[in-house]
Amino acid sequence: MSTLLTYISVNDGKIKRSSLEVLSRCNQLADNSGQSSAALVIDSKASDYVDQLKSYGPDKIYLIEDPIFKNHLNTPLIRALSLAIEKSDPSVVAFASTEGSKDILGALAANQKTASLADMSEFELTENGVKGKRPVMAAKIIASVEAEGSPVLLTVRSGSYDVIENPSEPEVESLDFSFSDDELQITLKEILGASGDKIDLSEAEAVVAAGRGVKDEEARNMISELASVLNAGIGASRALTEAGDYDPSLQIGQTGKVVAPQLYIAIGISGAIQHVAGMANSKVIVAINKDPDAPIFDIADYGIVGDLYKVLPPFIEEIKKLKN
Amino acid sequence: MKFYVCIKQVPDVNAPLQIKDGELIQDADRSILNAYDASAVEEALVLKEAHDAEVEVVLAGPEKAKETIRKALAMGADKGTHIVTSGDSNNDSFTYAQMLAAFFKDREYDYISCGKQSQDTDSGLTGSMLAQLLDLPYVTNAVALSYENGSLQVKRQGDAGQEIIALPSPGLVTCSNDMNDPRIPSLKGIMQSKRKPVETIQAEDLGLTDLSPKTKTIGFEEKPGREPGQKFEGEPDEVAQKVARLLDTEESLI
Repeated sequence: MSTLLTYISVNDGKIKRSSLEVLSRCNQLADNSGQSSAALVIDSKASDYVDQLKSYGPDKIYLIEDPIFKNHLNTPLIRALSLAIEKSDPSVVAFASTEGSKDILGALAANQKTASLADMSEFELTENGVKGKRPVMAAKIIASVEAEGSPVLLTVRSGSYDVIENPSEPEVESLDFSFSDDELQITLKEILGASGDKIDLSEAEAVVAAGRGVKDEEARNMISELASVLNAGIGASRALTEAGDYDPSLQIGQTGKVVAPQLYIAIGISGAIQHVAGMANSKVIVAINKDPDAPIFDIADYGIVGDLYKVLPPFIEEIKKLKN
Repeated sequence: MKFYVCIKQVPDVNAPLQIKDGELIQDADRSILNAYDASAVEEALVLKEAHDAEVEVVLAGPEKAKETIRKALAMGADKGTHIVTSGDSNNDSFTYAQMLAAFFKDREYDYISCGKQSQDTDSGLTGSMLAQLLDLPYVTNAVALSYENGSLQVKRQGDAGQEIIALPSPGLVTCSNDMNDPRIPSLKGIMQSKRKPVETIQAEDLGLTDLSPKTKTIGFEEKPGREPGQKFEGEPDEVAQKVARLLDTEESLI
């Protein structure tokens, strides 16, 4: 019996929801094809996540625990993944699409001499591999792709599948791993943490995103207030991260993060295709922009044509009222 | 210091597109230097100006992609190599990485750089595949580069923040377009580029026995468009209130 192996991205004691989406999909495919579904945690405290994972139904959990995984480093991660592949002999290794998985997908595929598919929006099993869909051309076009191989490696865009709770009693296996610092060719000298906003943008249920129309501190304060009222993550268009108004890790778009929250509020964002590529799969899109012809209105469910400085204060007030 | 920048010609994603019988059709004149690669070229040129580096570009692609090499030379790269692939090839990231690896096998260099992804397919695989095939240390998604104490200092955008990494030579780095604004070639640059050497290598002469792609694209469809929803104009107080209430009553999102 073959295995679908899901790599579980973790951060600060929490499993990323996008990884649980992928695991839920793999559980379903495993059930339908008579394969087993296994989860893989590679972290300095990998065993801490076993209890959380049991709620999401893998048949087996592999753990690789080593202090080296405290920070993301590609060389040891590729080594650990190769070990897990050797031990579990999977037909598919699936990752949530994150900066961490994007960093190693190609190298791991070359290392394993196998096929890799990046940033899939849907996938299913075929006789000898995987087929599915992925957005291309700045997400204007959907390409149907397929790959054969053992295993096929793939990353999945966040928001592509629902998380399904499904408590199980999986077998847990820890794999022996060692890595000496001498093997590290690159040196991680410093991590500059993203400042301010604590809500993980790619995981947030609601996102408030600022664009070029957000010109000064007054407007940025309103963005923060709206985000806090909605318990939303804050994102920004490339213009504002480049100008230094927002941290680069908050950039949404083809270059930055891809998000698919329940509610996306685009404020002063015109809707260039590079930005839309990163948010078009949001469930409900609200746009506030003073230009009635801004392309963002073509995709917004609710568009407000108006000056954000005049619209936001009553908008925030009304949401506060409704909350109470 | 010797810098190689791998570049690719891609369709301009801003140009109109059509799908006919499952094939993507685009006006052939709208092919451009991949924006992420343009940032890699720009960054190599900045390092060249500060540290006396030599910058060569290498491109794998069909005959017509030669114009994209000229573009990089006009920006200021010193030399180009064109690995000519047949026009109808189904190359995927891995076949490109294999061709480039075969090209680099017997070459000397300090660093190889490339864009972090191509703007047409957004796969972002070729760079790290190439590093693995050449057994090089690598850093992806660089947002800033500098050269200090004999190694490249790379700032990369990670999931939670930015990581500062020292990348020894030889090494490979993939570049985000957030690191710079690529220069527009000057008239002088364009004139000079015509005299710069471009070496041509046929892909089949690289000595690769198996260049079959591991992934296949079997069709294209237009992304189902979102229906434009309701648009409100008028008194800011009124429209703001109205939309906030709709988010509550219609969508249960408040």
